[in-house]
Amino acid sequence: MAAVTIDSVLQNPTLLFRPKAKVMLKPPRSLDCSRNRKLPLSRGSCFCSFNPRRTIHVVRASSSETALIGNFDTSSSDDIFYKDIFPVKRIEKVEGKFFIRLDRSKDQHDWQLTVGCSLPGKWILHWGVSYLGDSGSEWDQPPKGMRPPGSIPIKDYAIETPLKKLSEGDIFHEVKIDFNPSSEIAAIHFVLKDEETGAWYQHRGMDFKVPLVDYLEDDGNTVGAKRGFGVWSGALQQFSNVLLKSEASHADSQNNSIESKDSKNKNRCLEGFYEEQSIVKEVSVGNLVSVAVRKSPETGKVIVCLETDIPGDVVVHWGVCRDDAKIWEIPSAPYPPETTVFKNKALRTLLQPKATGNRSGALFTLDEEHFGFLFVLKLDDNTWLKFKENDFYVPLLGTSSVPGQYGQSDITTEEISSKSYTDGIINEIRNLVSGLSSEKSQKTKTKEVQESILQEIEQLAAEAYSIFRSSITTVPEEVVSETETTKPAVKISSGTGTGFEILCQGFNWESHKSGRWYMELKEKASEISSLGFTVIWLPPPTESVSPEGYMPKDLYNLNSRYGTIAELKELVKSLHEVGMKVLGDVVLNHRCAHFKNQNGVWNIFGGRLNWDDRAVVADDPHFQGRGNKSSGDNFHAAPNIDHSQEFVRKDLKEWLGWLREEIGYDGWRLDFVRGFWGGYVKDYLEASEPYFAVGEYWDSLSYTYGEMDHNQDSHRQRIVDWINATNGTAGAFDVTTKGILHSALERCEYWRLSDKKGKPPGVVGWWPSRAVTFIENHDTGSTQGHWRFPGGKEMQGYAYILTHPGTPAVFYDHIFSHHRSEIANLISVRNRNGIHCRSLVKIVKAERDVYAAIIDEKVAMKIGPGYYEPPSGSQRWSLALEGRDYKVWETS
Amino acid sequence: MEVSAIRSCSQATNLKTELGFKDSRFSFGKFNEKLFFRKPNSVSFQSPLRRGKSWLRITAQAAQSDPLPKSKSSTKSKTLNRVRLFAGLPLDVVSGGTVNQFRAISAGLKALKLLGLEGVELPIWWGVVEHESMGKYDWSGYLTIAEMVRKAGLKLHVTLCFHASSQPKIPLPEWVLDIGKTKSNIFFKDQAGKPYRGCLSLAVDELAVLNGKTPMQVYQDFCESFKSAFSAFIGSTIMGITMGLGPDGELRYPSHRGFAKSDTVPGAGEFQCYDKNMLHLLKQHAEACGKPKWGLGGPHDAPANSELPTANTFFKDHGGSWESPYGDFFLSWYSSQLIAHGDRLLSLASSVFSDSAVNIFGKVPLMHSWHGTRSHPSELTAGFYNTATRKGYEEVAEMFARNSCKIILPGMDQSDKYQLKESLSSPESLLAEIGTACNKHGVGISGQNSTIGAPDGLKQIKKNMLSENLNDSFIFQRIGAQFFAPEHFPLFIEFVRKLNQPELHSGNLPTKEGTTTATDSVHTRSNLSIHMQSA
Repeated sequence: MAAVTIDSVLQNPTLLFRPKAKVMLKPPRSLDCSRNRKLPLSRGSCFCSFNPRRTIHVVRASSSETALIGNFDTSSSDDIFYKDIFPVKRIEKVEGKFFIRLDRSKDQHDWQLTVGCSLPGKWILHWGVSYLGDSGSEWDQPPKGMRPPGSIPIKDYAIETPLKKLSEGDIFHEVKIDFNPSSEIAAIHFVLKDEETGAWYQHRGMDFKVPLVDYLEDDGNTVGAKRGFGVWSGALQQFSNVLLKSEASHADSQNNSIESKDSKNKNRCLEGFYEEQSIVKEVSVGNLVSVAVRKSPETGKVIVCLETDIPGDVVVHWGVCRDDAKIWEIPSAPYPPETTVFKNKALRTLLQPKATGNRSGALFTLDEEHFGFLFVLKLDDNTWLKFKENDFYVPLLGTSSVPGQYGQSDITTEEISSKSYTDGIINEIRNLVSGLSSEKSQKTKTKEVQESILQEIEQLAAEAYSIFRSSITTVPEEVVSETETTKPAVKISSGTGTGFEILCQGFNWESHKSGRWYMELKEKASEISSLGFTVIWLPPPTESVSPEGYMPKDLYNLNSRYGTIAELKELVKSLHEVGMKVLGDVVLNHRCAHFKNQNGVWNIFGGRLNWDDRAVVADDPHFQGRGNKSSGDNFHAAPNIDHSQEFVRKDLKEWLGWLREEIGYDGWRLDFVRGFWGGYVKDYLEASEPYFAVGEYWDSLSYTYGEMDHNQDSHRQRIVDWINATNGTAGAFDVTTKGILHSALERCEYWRLSDKKGKPPGVVGWWPSRAVTFIENHDTGSTQGHWRFPGGKEMQGYAYILTHPGTPAVFYDHIFSHHRSEIANLISVRNRNGIHCRSLVKIVKAERDVYAAIIDEKVAMKIGPGYYEPPSGSQRWSLALEGRDYKVWETS
Repeated sequence: MEVSAIRSCSQATNLKTELGFKDSRFSFGKFNEKLFFRKPNSVSFQSPLRRGKSWLRITAQAAQSDPLPKSKSSTKSKTLNRVRLFAGLPLDVVSGGTVNQFRAISAGLKALKLLGLEGVELPIWWGVVEHESMGKYDWSGYLTIAEMVRKAGLKLHVTLCFHASSQPKIPLPEWVLDIGKTKSNIFFKDQAGKPYRGCLSLAVDELAVLNGKTPMQVYQDFCESFKSAFSAFIGSTIMGITMGLGPDGELRYPSHRGFAKSDTVPGAGEFQCYDKNMLHLLKQHAEACGKPKWGLGGPHDAPANSELPTANTFFKDHGGSWESPYGDFFLSWYSSQLIAHGDRLLSLASSVFSDSAVNIFGKVPLMHSWHGTRSHPSELTAGFYNTATRKGYEEVAEMFARNSCKIILPGMDQSDKYQLKESLSSPESLLAEIGTACNKHGVGISGQNSTIGAPDGLKQIKKNMLSENLNDSFIFQRIGAQFFAPEHFPLFIEFVRKLNQPELHSGNLPTKEGTTTATDSVHTRSNLSIHMQSA
């Protein structure tokens, strides 16, 4: 788990800041206009993280570790009994300029758009065009002739072209795009991306748009440089600035396109322009903080040497403690120079610059009876460097070998380096455990720890199980009789249901249109159930600003475009009658307001949950929330709910309970869970005790120059992290698997379906019981098609997810299509062979044109045009199903 | 363990009040008390004196490396965690000097540690270690396991297996089987003369049949070699050693051949006194008793292996031969041979490990089918002269007590309710019978579940763990795919949590009291342990 690394947060003293990568909103339902919606934004605030690399408790003379330590003012290091160096990562802001220039190329015939940037970095122009007559706001690929050398097409709508320095001496990285003004192009759109940091630079939250149409003589100006940003543009104006990283140097008001002032010139010639903007890039800077403790042989005093290469004034805010309780005390004088007493609680010492290099440091001389030395670093008025949101702690007693958190973290990091992923979790739990026991923990916390340990145990057991399973060659006779005689009770947990669930997504993006979806679905209830589905996911039921239901307003008003509350109850009842569990789609991240505040901002709620602006997160200036900062990513179209507020959580828990009671929902599909901390989800799930719950944690996969990376571990790690934050009380949609299937099927690269450990490459390979696999949903497919599964390959996708572990989800549109009977057959193979969410998958082939696997030694499958037949060994395989580029066998 | 008993004794007052406090709420507090008072009478005094220091140091360590219990609600909770729980490692965890499924084992160990188990049981096979030739030992794979277990912060219970396993197939050492090819009389034989190749006949214990050495000498060499190879672990990681005593490691004759199936009525079993050496011993004994004619063979009217007891007249409830003077003569001899064999092996183990801080265990089978008849045919053929009129386990328990060994009883998952009616079986009453005998002689009891499993097994185990049938430990048999399977493991977690449940409430106790009892708790725990096995 990534969380094992010890993060320390440089935090603003008043606002707790979570070190999370902010990624811009996801595609579905977002009100953004262009197709390249997944533009991660860099953050404005700065944060530090460091990992204590290792602790050397007894140091013998030479340590080549780093030059820094050599600079201590110690004549001999023999008596150093404690020494440590922390690499510290700070984020510094670097300011620079970038420009956009439109002018005539040298031959005076064509025109040229030049974009340049003065900051160092690996800059990429991510761009596309719109053609005359395009009504929407989507991008298109520019014609081939327009693409500068080195350009890479991204899907069918964009180009990425790297910016280059023309010569070594140049300050600016540039890219030039030549185009013919008489072409059909209406505008050029672009954003700037820094490959080094993955940051995207936009213009007022939108693409940069250079309109060309107004200037084209024979075309008239029908299209014009209007704000072509869709129906939501009004609302958009409110929040678009939030995304802004670059400030236009001129005060451009409502228009987000860059135009030359004189747009009335209806001439064959375009008007050239040049515009410069300032740009801020966050550069991570590595620094070191080193601490060494030695005992002066002459005076018997303990001397703490602290040194760092952090530039500027660094103030050490320090004290000592007597015991493990780590209560700050002020030691007796003398103190180092430039020391002041801070509120009688601590001392503040300004580190003095060293003669050598640009370092600063201080020596603290202390009496030897002190137990430990505590400190935090203060970099400027509101930037503090702490250790894991705690004080730095340095043991002073040479005998206490590894006291305190210091020692633990040390052990943790050392172990991580050598061991695998699961070890990390254990260590984390151990840390948690020892951390808690030392502070004489409260019962509630203990319970949480227990839960997380159980979670961990389950995971380890699953791992052990899968390996043991794979190595069983023959099933001994008596084991069979055992399974027959003992009838294990199925354990149901909200993360997995029974473990044998098959999910049906019971709607698409158009389902609201008839106004009677509940009734239509009711007629299909028994049909859906007969196909083998055990769980159905219904659309969001609340009153909503958007007809699809994802912009909820009054949570207690369940009359929606899908039908009335009475009809919903009726539907749930019929679904229960045919033996299905029902998931409600709950939108907890955001909520549309009823009223404006005194500034005219929509952030006051009405209805039964008449919250005020304290329920809205503070870090989205467009809604002027007075809550805390968001614990996740913000969804920018509506006020994001601040889940850290007790009253909000209480109300939401009550609401979920009401939905369970009143409507009879059995569980939840949780919308946009990237928007808030998984721990709150855990809270909600424990309160509402669902039968099954699945969260939508959707962010983009890793691509390098438009080609998806084979290794998507960081992507699935983020999803697994979220599941872990919920303590495994919820599963999550396996977006990773969908993404990898896309590439594998579309490009005939079936080798992608095995990770480097020979396991499935998605979430399902790491935490199968919590992975809800799917190939399409209302956002990716349907009439939105944000990320549509490769056409014609759907059945290969289903052959994969319906034979593999994880809990498969099938999209409504596919069930009621020509795929129906094939899907039904796959489901019956799954059920017949008892494949469940933890089934063991053995990948037997992952080659260019074929992928094959054997699941639980009962089912064999292959997808892809290549050849595969299961081995004719001890097991006898018979073909169960066959379709276009897939086959499924079962043991006979 | 012994030391802990002594220490507990000196601190009894302190502890008693503590337990008394809990008594009002938890039924088994009483039991703990009893245990402490019983202990000192039973266990030899020599060892504590000799081992005192090292033991104390060890318990402290044990307490330290124990994340889950610690985390639960501070140290005081341990006091109630009376029976130590172990899980058996797969039978074939080591083959050919290497550890099989290394990663699975390592993940499994972590899971068990987090679950709060005391340790794992490791079967060490004669046929693996001394596979090639006599006196040539390969401990490497097992040493790797011991190291893994130590690192995981778990304890190790070692079972020295001088028998063979049929599933997975682990035969006796090759060189022993080679000898057996020409001298089939080193094996037990049934009436039909069919040899049992799963272990050596007890009749050859003291005969130099193995390249000039007696099996007892070979066993002793094996134990000595084990002791020196594992010296770094014995007393710190390895806290218990089970000495293999016969078929499946159990003290018995191989009277029931073939698989035990839960859905068929088992036969009575067959007397196994037909190898040349057994017959010779019988003849000698008969002559010494002045009844030479009785020494010519086994009972003529006993049924064959898979036949029901009623197939012949020996086991008849009324007027069966078993009640005749001949019956008494034969059964006394037959069972005393078995007990003498057990005595030889356990005293061997006790002396080899006398200077190590480990407990020695021996396993006694739970021959529960036909227990409802007067003659208890299954027990008789297995070598236990225990009938409606004779308490046969007294001698067995006495033998264990004499050697300061603890007893392992399998089948703790079996409940009367689920037995086939036709087999007149009663695992529960047999268990109680053996338990009574052990308690009388102060023999500690460690439990195991049966290989074949049982419906509601975990429930039954829990019931036994809270009863007097079990007071040392429980070894759950056995980890592997089945154990970690989604249909089993969650139940096991539940089982372990339920065992520990009272601890959660103990969080209400005043902190001070908790800390004083913390040290004692370790001892309490050490008196009881559970081992999970199915061998």
